[in-house]
Amino acid sequence: MIKILKAGLETSVQDYPGRIGYWNQGFPPSGPMDSWSFRMANVLVGNAPGAAGFECQFLGPTLQFGEDTVIAITGADMTPAVDGEAVPLWQSLAVKAGQTLVLSGARVGARAYIAFAGGLANPEMLGSRSTFNKAGVGGIDGHSVKPGQELPLFQGDGTPGLKVPDNLRPQIRTDKTWDIEVCAGPNDDWIDEAGHERFLTSPWTLSAKSDRTGFRLEGPEWTFTQKATNKPREHGSLPSNIIDHGYPMGAINLAGQTPIILVNDGPSMGGFINPYTVPSCAFWKLGQSKPNETFKFKLVSVSEAQDLALQIAKRCVAENLVKA
Amino acid sequence: MIYDQPRFMPAGDRYVLIEFGNEMNLDLNFLAQGLATAAANAEIGGVIETAPCFASLLVHYEPTQIGYDDVVREFLQLSAALGSSEDIELESRLFYLPALYLDPWTKACVDDYCAKIAKKAPDAELVVQENGLDNVEHLVRLHSSSEYWVASLGFWPGLPFLMALDPRARLTAPKYNPPRTNTPKGAIGLGGAANSIYPVATPGGYQIFARTPVPIWDPTGRQEVFEGSLCLFRPGDRIKFVPVTRDEYDACEAALNDGRYSYTVVEYQKFGVRNYKKWVSKLDKKTGAAA
Repeated sequence: MIKILKAGLETSVQDYPGRIGYWNQGFPPSGPMDSWSFRMANVLVGNAPGAAGFECQFLGPTLQFGEDTVIAITGADMTPAVDGEAVPLWQSLAVKAGQTLVLSGARVGARAYIAFAGGLANPEMLGSRSTFNKAGVGGIDGHSVKPGQELPLFQGDGTPGLKVPDNLRPQIRTDKTWDIEVCAGPNDDWIDEAGHERFLTSPWTLSAKSDRTGFRLEGPEWTFTQKATNKPREHGSLPSNIIDHGYPMGAINLAGQTPIILVNDGPSMGGFINPYTVPSCAFWKLGQSKPNETFKFKLVSVSEAQDLALQIAKRCVAENLVKA
Repeated sequence: MIYDQPRFMPAGDRYVLIEFGNEMNLDLNFLAQGLATAAANAEIGGVIETAPCFASLLVHYEPTQIGYDDVVREFLQLSAALGSSEDIELESRLFYLPALYLDPWTKACVDDYCAKIAKKAPDAELVVQENGLDNVEHLVRLHSSSEYWVASLGFWPGLPFLMALDPRARLTAPKYNPPRTNTPKGAIGLGGAANSIYPVATPGGYQIFARTPVPIWDPTGRQEVFEGSLCLFRPGDRIKFVPVTRDEYDACEAALNDGRYSYTVVEYQKFGVRNYKKWVSKLDKKTGAAA
């Protein structure tokens, strides 16, 4: 059992890949934003890569262990400490019943992950333990954790003293700039040449008005082709309006002139175009970026993006771990 | 315009968007839902799920199991085998939902918007004006006369986008600008050519003029009629609003609170596009004769 002493800013139960199969009823997958770090944390404690653990955003929680277990902390550096003593990231650690784990503000990155041997055992909702905070679905009582809550664990079989080699970890940027892969489409033909050029060459600033539903970007104006300006009335009045259609996760959704990257808790459909889509291999970068940091977008093909995702998945296996 | 061939557009590393045309009409949604059903029946390895919208279908696939080109090829084949929309038959449940039209809660919400955000014509009156109806009673009669088709769900989980199946009840309305910051749970409204029901209290932009006491969203997952989901509807369902009095509305709410309410739903029906179109063309002839 894990007891929440302090909740942190927004700490939630997530599993991977999340709540899949309900897109046609409007349910997003949820799940960890940086699923690379998340999967590594699980692998370190002997779990399947997708087992339920915590995602801690910006400011981590304080937890007390109700039983002896093995844990691992990955992702953002929130200077974790057990009973006041600093503990390393990217390693499996034995903890004893009664000990307290404190995660502070993120020094590097934005989201830290905590995995427990066996995994969190809160009830599943629609096949997933992930929290969809906005709609109150999954997790504990549908929302991020609160002080006083106790979360059960499954029986686990973790080995302390394992670590993820440096070269298999995501390299979280410390210079506030990120190169984010994008694939063109589905609605790239609504943007003119100059608009594409501007999108791919300009720096974009991540707005503070960003959360697990969408990442708002600030940057230059968009310009459009005939398709956007000369279209049947039912598409809507703005150039970026289109007859409501399904949104892929990662869509760069153009709400008027504001691009919003739709992320894990985002909407399944709506009436704006998506000229580009951030593929799954780049989601860890979104998860580790902070407001006011800078994104530059790098065009990749669909098959390149698929290959990059496969390379990440291949890293997240127990065979790759070494002794600490 | 309906395209001769559906158009396939890549959407990142795991999705494909298939467009059937670039207008809002039921035919395009029948194609999208027909293809979604055909794909579910075909159980294509690596295809995780599909989500229909008004004129398109989003396909979610697992690239380690099926490549983009193969997804396109499989869905082109399924689409060719569907033939015209006339041949499409879809499982379609019919839900009867009690609705209190011109209810006090949506009225209070609109009054509040007028007082705090922007002045506007009351929603029911606005719909009456926009559609050349006689009065609000006419709106109630017309709006409750048609079955509504669940074209898709989104914006909020379980929020249905509804299209009137009876062409005589097809109304349109502008959306709020700026949007409302709140909408009563269960409010029924119209924006553009789509109707909707708000599953929970959320911001919104549709003109609202009725309310149902019956939940269409249940985060506890305990409602039997929701069949394991947290929301009542699936694409391809139909809804009929049954006008009730305030007393009936209150009685219904009391029954819900006591756990005595049972949803009225007809489950054995199939929706055949051919029969539907036959009926619509009969209506067209009648209207023509009357004019």
